[in-house]
Amino acid sequence: MEFTVLVGGEAGQGMFSVELELTELLSKLHYHLFATKNYMSRIRGGHNFHMIRIAETPVHALSGEPWDMIIALDPETEGYHKQDLSASGIFLPPGQIKEMEGIARERFGGVTAVNTMLVGLILSTIGCPQEKFSGITDISSNPAHLSAGFEFAHRWGLAGRYRLTPKAQAHCKFDGNQALALGALLGGCQFMAGYPMTPATSIMQYISTVALDHPVHFEQAEDEISAVNMALGASYAGLRSLVATSGGGFALMQEGISLAGMTETPVVVIVAQRPGPATGLPTRTEQGDLNFVLHAGHGEFPRAIYAPGTLHEAMVLARKSFHVADGCQTPVFILTDQYFADSVQMMFEDIPLEITRRDYGSFDASYRRYRLTDSGLSPLACPGAGDGLVRVDSDEHDEEGKITEDLSLRARMVEKRLRKFDFLRKETVMPSFTGNEASDVIVINWGSNKMIVEEAVRRLIGEGVSAGALHFSQVYPLTQEMAAPWNLKGKRLLSVENNATGQFAALLKRELGLTVDHQILKYNGECFTVRELSQTLRKHLP
Amino acid sequence: MAARNDIAWCPGCGNFPIRDVLESALKELPVPAGSIVMTSGIGQAAKMPHYLEVNYFNGLHGRALPLAVGIKLARPDLTVIAYSGDGCNYGEGGNHFIHTVRRRLDITILTSNNQVYGLTKGQSSPTTDTGVKNLLDPQGNSNIPLNPLSLAITMGAPFVARGFAGEKDHLKSLLKEAILFKGTALVDILQPCVSFNRVNTYGWYRERVYQVEKPAENRYEALKLVDDWGSRIPIGVLLRDDSAKSRELKTLFGKSITREAVDQMVCTKCVMMR
Repeated sequence: MEFTVLVGGEAGQGMFSVELELTELLSKLHYHLFATKNYMSRIRGGHNFHMIRIAETPVHALSGEPWDMIIALDPETEGYHKQDLSASGIFLPPGQIKEMEGIARERFGGVTAVNTMLVGLILSTIGCPQEKFSGITDISSNPAHLSAGFEFAHRWGLAGRYRLTPKAQAHCKFDGNQALALGALLGGCQFMAGYPMTPATSIMQYISTVALDHPVHFEQAEDEISAVNMALGASYAGLRSLVATSGGGFALMQEGISLAGMTETPVVVIVAQRPGPATGLPTRTEQGDLNFVLHAGHGEFPRAIYAPGTLHEAMVLARKSFHVADGCQTPVFILTDQYFADSVQMMFEDIPLEITRRDYGSFDASYRRYRLTDSGLSPLACPGAGDGLVRVDSDEHDEEGKITEDLSLRARMVEKRLRKFDFLRKETVMPSFTGNEASDVIVINWGSNKMIVEEAVRRLIGEGVSAGALHFSQVYPLTQEMAAPWNLKGKRLLSVENNATGQFAALLKRELGLTVDHQILKYNGECFTVRELSQTLRKHLP
Repeated sequence: MAARNDIAWCPGCGNFPIRDVLESALKELPVPAGSIVMTSGIGQAAKMPHYLEVNYFNGLHGRALPLAVGIKLARPDLTVIAYSGDGCNYGEGGNHFIHTVRRRLDITILTSNNQVYGLTKGQSSPTTDTGVKNLLDPQGNSNIPLNPLSLAITMGAPFVARGFAGEKDHLKSLLKEAILFKGTALVDILQPCVSFNRVNTYGWYRERVYQVEKPAENRYEALKLVDDWGSRIPIGVLLRDDSAKSRELKTLFGKSITREAVDQMVCTKCVMMR
């Protein structure tokens, strides 16, 4: 049993507030929820809509089924979405919203109260008893406004029309960027620099808020070139450091990525993808920058790329990325996207509360930053913490960090840097499997598509179709051991990606020699829905 | 320190006297050598830290300043000096120059200003005078030269100075004063390029430079003073505003993120999409 609602209108009409307040309350009331949004790159006007799925079991994707309720704050919403209303669904046209505005003006002195009134109306529709709110202490919604919403639900005969039981156990509620920011803190990140860019900006906002009261610093840079260089400076000086941006900003960071590779300075880089090329669709989603991140920065140096598919993976991998960046002394990337960044979900797993940190060994005046070692890893040190000098150089350098054009040393330094790949191999994050292990068909996916694919596969299995899915949250490096347990060579492989060219399928072929038989690609700027994906998959399953 | 013949500069380069002066100034500072960090970009001047006994991060062309900002923010306890040439600090890194000054950090920005690109062998730089012929503008530079001192003053730099590689004692006192000044300090150093600048030679500068006795009274007087570029070129501390407040920075290094920070993040409400 579940209930889905779409709230649509012009930017600035308050749909976002409805989503924020509703998800906040649903979480506190222990209803399972998933919410995401589709918005335009403007402050006012246009057409934006927010989609909320409320259920009695965990939900982590858009179902794609006809809406149970559509709230149209403007006439466009009717035109765009009414055809997707279920037969027994509830449609609230702008006229009814006007009625609520009238009461809001009369009782509360302004129309903004309608946001909370709509929250009350939706809660009433799912049969939430009003007295439940008295048990919530830190409620930020105005109780009088909520009550007025309940009144409207009763007056319009909506109360209890889609009665749901709250069944969610203890959990956290995050959006994707918040889970990444939390993971960064758990990974001991103390410095972040950034230049605002959708959909990465809220990571900066979360970190800058924590920085107010804790030993963490956020610096807004003049551009992304500066941001990545500031982060490298801070990392060199002794702090675990982070930058986050989207494709266009990452384009500016590339020389800095190469600098991190050459100077062996640890840094974590979050790339929140949106559709390109160039400005593309600034507020929509895509998985189009895998190749870009894979090849970012001139020259050859090791890197790891993670692509979390759940809140828990986002948190755990963001935490781990600082350990790996330090351990391998190289840039580590987290690829996410607008869909994941802007989706609000519940996380039931525990938070790994042990906060990791960078520790320096002691070093004396004989310290050499780039000492040649069997592992390729030289001891990391920071200035002012020992007798030795810490000298790093973007030129090819000798063991002391001094510029060199000794070509045999150059070759040894290249080999030293590449030997660090062994560290990455030891830290491999295995892909995760869902569905029938015996299935002859495996659906390969990566990053934010994980939970959409999982639900689609579960639905197919429920319909008696044998299916399995393999999700990669580490997309680089890809090693044979990652594929080995699933006997992929003997199976038919389908792939699901939010891009037009099947970048991950091509990488699988290149790195592991695996051929994908059929690619399911979506690149209009929207995420997949469970219904759409399960219908497409069914055509390709026995 | 590398043997003199290992240094990549041309014999007679203006960077040699600057290096000597800087080395001795750093030794005389009341700061432990291990606490001094120099950042630099790319170019002949940007090789400076390789020829001194300091911690350094020799980064990319134009990026000495954001590196310095990151280091200072992370470690307020370190003495941070960004060293590069005019092409690096004012050209490729021009935007960083503007915004680094605005950040009100206790960073010293030193520029070897030779009014030409040396490492790439003789193209006009941001500070090349109008009409001067260089490799890629044989008709003569058509641009107006950038005045780094007036730019820094306009952006709010509290300490602005100009030195000359040909006046070593004077330069040394400038460098020490700039590094010890609590706030963003710029020292633009006139550095003759003996290989690629046949106009702005030692002799050319010597005929023009004069030492100012004391800094200008205020920002507006300083702007008038630094506008003087032609038959007479003022050197010395041209502006020093001890009332300007640097940013207060908190200690981060050696501190740990606590459970409270994690709890705060967990309890933060989702924010608007951005």
